[in-house]
Amino acid sequence: MKANAKFARIYRLFGLAALMLGLLAGAAPASASSGSGWLRLAHLSPNTPPVDVYLYSFHNSKALIVVPHVAYGTISDYQKVPAGEYTVAMRAAGAAASSPPVISATVNVTPGAAYTVVGLGPAKELELRVLADRLTTPKGKALVRIIQASLRQHRVTVRAGHSLIARDVAFASVTHYKVVSPGTWNVSAAGRTEHTSSTITLAAGTIHTIVVLDDPGDIRLDDLVDAAGSKIAPAGAPATGFGGTASRPGHSDLPWAALVGAGVLISFAGYRRVRRPVGAHAMGTRGPSATV
Amino acid sequence: MTGAGKNDMSLQAGEAGQASPTSTARQASQASQVGQAAGARGRAARRPQPRHRRPPKRRRLLQSAGLVAMGCGVLTTALGMGGWALTGQHTGLDQPGQAGQAGRAGQVPVPPGLTVHAPGGASQRQVPSPVRLIIPAIGVSTRLIRLGITSNHTLQVPASAALAGWFTGSPRPGAVGASIIAGHIDSYSGPGVFFRLRELHRGQGISVTRANGSVARFRIIAVRTYAKDRFPTATVYGPVPDPELRLVTCGGQFDYATGSYLSNIVISAVLVR
Repeated sequence: MKANAKFARIYRLFGLAALMLGLLAGAAPASASSGSGWLRLAHLSPNTPPVDVYLYSFHNSKALIVVPHVAYGTISDYQKVPAGEYTVAMRAAGAAASSPPVISATVNVTPGAAYTVVGLGPAKELELRVLADRLTTPKGKALVRIIQASLRQHRVTVRAGHSLIARDVAFASVTHYKVVSPGTWNVSAAGRTEHTSSTITLAAGTIHTIVVLDDPGDIRLDDLVDAAGSKIAPAGAPATGFGGTASRPGHSDLPWAALVGAGVLISFAGYRRVRRPVGAHAMGTRGPSATV
Repeated sequence: MTGAGKNDMSLQAGEAGQASPTSTARQASQASQVGQAAGARGRAARRPQPRHRRPPKRRRLLQSAGLVAMGCGVLTTALGMGGWALTGQHTGLDQPGQAGQAGRAGQVPVPPGLTVHAPGGASQRQVPSPVRLIIPAIGVSTRLIRLGITSNHTLQVPASAALAGWFTGSPRPGAVGASIIAGHIDSYSGPGVFFRLRELHRGQGISVTRANGSVARFRIIAVRTYAKDRFPTATVYGPVPDPELRLVTCGGQFDYATGSYLSNIVISAVLVR
């Protein structure tokens, strides 16, 4: 059962990613990397049926993209989008595009920043939250935050090994990022009646969001890598050249060229002197009248 | 044509006239029409040559001088070309402390120190390690070696200028994050694997073959040059939310005092899904 659920989730993820790509093809032609940010969408409301997600660039009534049938537990990959304002709207799966959305939110994508737009809460109180995602870690550390999306377990405590990440995280809440020592941890989540654990590597220089999800039978953890960099940033600039093809600063080819030129001239003059035929000399350099 | 014919005739007449004094008045008047030049030419052709030659001694002297000049010229040319070629090639022999390493073409010294291998992340478990880098636009296809960090905390660089290397402290190509591949622009004696990196531009493709034969394809989004003293380590090595590839090499002016280029070229590319 669990495996089937996972496959279904992966399948949905692929669908969402593919459609987001379609969005990019239409919405982000040749945007400069400096003028763009990242956006990902998530449905984390356990008892909300699948939704159609619409993404509008601000003040544009025509949706850039419609992502149909996004179900609970689906989180898209990040997609690069041009910086600017966007509106994310959710409608019940199959509802007309002209119908009022169940919920909507505005996200202002600033260059170089990343956001998760997530549907959270119980169906009755569904909210669409814009999370600002961190893209830097303290040196040699990992960052972890928890999205508690289990309705069955209202409060969940999450640990990495023996160290606490977050205690009694309420349903539909998102913790701040917590600095953790890098390593491969047995990450556990415990509610009142259900618990789960998962081996997760939190490498230095990586930023994770761990989602607590309702799953048939038990809660489960989904580890998302928000961003990753080098575990250790090497000091300084890489020494990737030794000058074998470099031009010498202040060096000029002119003196050598002059020397070569002079050599050629002298050689030529000498050659002419050696080879000059005598008759040609008389005929060529002096007129007939001068020889008379 | 009649003029030419007359000219020929007058030349014959002139010669005949000198050979035999019994020439007619008509022939003489024809010869006078074409002027004195033909007659002069005829006389010049028969003039005894030795009268106008330089004395043999002086001639030999001049010829010897010519030979010497020619030799000097050839020597000068050779000297100039040799010097030109040598300074153009930059063997690096004049660099302090590097004389012992010069001359091994394609081999550059590895900075001493411990190579750090950190364990791979959970997200990287599905992504096999990279084994080959291919950049069709500049004809690069290189095996990828593993690079760590040296004891003085700098990025280890490949021992051979002919190979590029993946920094094992960075995400694997295709996994989330900025994967770092470094290669030399040149060795002491000639071009390195990333010599033509500076020719790349946005939109061009880069492929990385992984250990299981799968290929991650990237598209270049930025080509940047940074001064080494202002190298943005946080930007280059810092976290990014999507799978990216960064190719790093040297560029700009070469500083012979320090034996180092003054800039780095960084190519950024994103995974094509």
